[in-house]
Amino acid sequence: MDQKSFHANEISKSFGALQVLDNVTLNVNPGEIVGLLGPNGAGKSTFINILAGYEKQDGGTVVVEGKPLDGLKPNARARAGIARTFQSGRLFGNLTVAENVALGAIGLGESGKVAHERSESILEILGIEKLSPHAAGSISHGNARLVGLARAVAAHPKYLIMDEPAAGLNEDEAPRLLQALEVIRKNIGCGMLLVEHNVKLVTQACSRVVVLATGILIFDGNPRDALNNADVKTAYLGNAGVH
Amino acid sequence: MVQSILDAISLGGLYSLAALGLGLVFGVMRLVNFAHAELITIAAYTLVLTAQFPLAVSLLFTVIVTVFVALLMEFSVYRRLRGVNPAIMLIASFGLSTVLQRVYELMFGALPRSAVVAPFLRGDFKVAGLSITISSIITIVLTIVILLAMGYLIEKTSLGLQLRAASADFKTARLLGVRSNRLISAAFGLSGVLAACVALILVIQNPQISPYYGLNITILSLVGIVIGGIASLRGAALGGFIVGVVLSSLNTLLGNGRVYAYSWLFILVLVILLVRPGGLLSKGSELERV
Repeated sequence: MDQKSFHANEISKSFGALQVLDNVTLNVNPGEIVGLLGPNGAGKSTFINILAGYEKQDGGTVVVEGKPLDGLKPNARARAGIARTFQSGRLFGNLTVAENVALGAIGLGESGKVAHERSESILEILGIEKLSPHAAGSISHGNARLVGLARAVAAHPKYLIMDEPAAGLNEDEAPRLLQALEVIRKNIGCGMLLVEHNVKLVTQACSRVVVLATGILIFDGNPRDALNNADVKTAYLGNAGVH
Repeated sequence: MVQSILDAISLGGLYSLAALGLGLVFGVMRLVNFAHAELITIAAYTLVLTAQFPLAVSLLFTVIVTVFVALLMEFSVYRRLRGVNPAIMLIASFGLSTVLQRVYELMFGALPRSAVVAPFLRGDFKVAGLSITISSIITIVLTIVILLAMGYLIEKTSLGLQLRAASADFKTARLLGVRSNRLISAAFGLSGVLAACVALILVIQNPQISPYYGLNITILSLVGIVIGGIASLRGAALGGFIVGVVLSSLNTLLGNGRVYAYSWLFILVLVILLVRPGGLLSKGSELERV
């Protein structure tokens, strides 16, 4: 395990008699985009909830840059450098886009001036600076996804967990997300864990994918190899098909 | 007529400040803090008991005492209950309000305490033959200054941004790393400052302080934040202003029938809530939250 990596080691979780995660180990390195695939019920959401501190694991440890995160709440993990985006977006509709993004930095202790400068800079990097003065509640779903991403990045995280960022995006919007991920990787340099159903997006964006099925990690490797892996085909692609 | 309009605006501004104080705490805790009345009351007592000092000293002392009581309230009661059912919080705020009224009664007596605060603000002056009270002008000016200062704080500062975000969605604000204890303490502290400002304006107009002094304005300000939009600070300020203006206007227009002013006010409130259940500045989400 790299001392600079984000590492989940042998994570287990059960809900009553149902074992949702069974000794799942995953490593994300700085600047790396890792895709997390799996059919519905595979345990993806539980796994990232554990990584971000929303749920407690029954066994195993979560470590960032050599420091254990176990027992820390989500806000403490955010301060430790773990940011996440939400499936539902969770933007503040009453605030402007610029303010939403600035909050990502303010929440972690940056001054208002620094946070607003960073907000403008990130919106520009992502090519959505024109949205800056608009109320977040008034922008399109696709743009809201990008703003949610910008807000998470404004915290200058070491690692970013993205929960289905392409959900609900149309065919024109998905490439913009792909482009945004690459821009973030190049400019911010944080490691990213991309949980996504859109296999095409994952194979394009990620240098590595891991696949979960019924709580067990069944594949960890090159995206192209994942598509040809017999276990993956059976567990995931065979059921859901490639988008 | 001019005096009536000025009275309506000044009462509206006063209720707006009180509603903003309540709205700040509601925003971050989803707590209807009935004990806000006792913040206004302790501020009024402090003003009266320190009336022999220069106004600036008396006011500074009042702000310090009121903010201290507000923070004590938060730390000793509400922080311990954070996360419990909102109904329990509501009952706790009722309880705290009642306990503080009794404490004030023991400390200052049941009979009203009185002193002349800022005597130079009493009396009236003539403009084009019209007699206008100084206190109504001072109230309006003071309210505008305080609202502008609060507006700047809420709209332009980092603390204000966090308060607005927390008012809309406290959970997400926390998930972004916003420190809840610090933010809630700041909201209570600011509500204490606003309570002190409200008390100053009230005491200039009515320096007879009893243990229930802040109750009436607090209840009417709560009505204001409901009609303005309970999850919005702008809505709270607007709602408070509307309640004050309407109440003052009803008192003028109804003449001898002014005993029915509250009835008409609450009929208006019911109509507003039937048309816009989430309040005037809501966009519908408040309904889902409730």
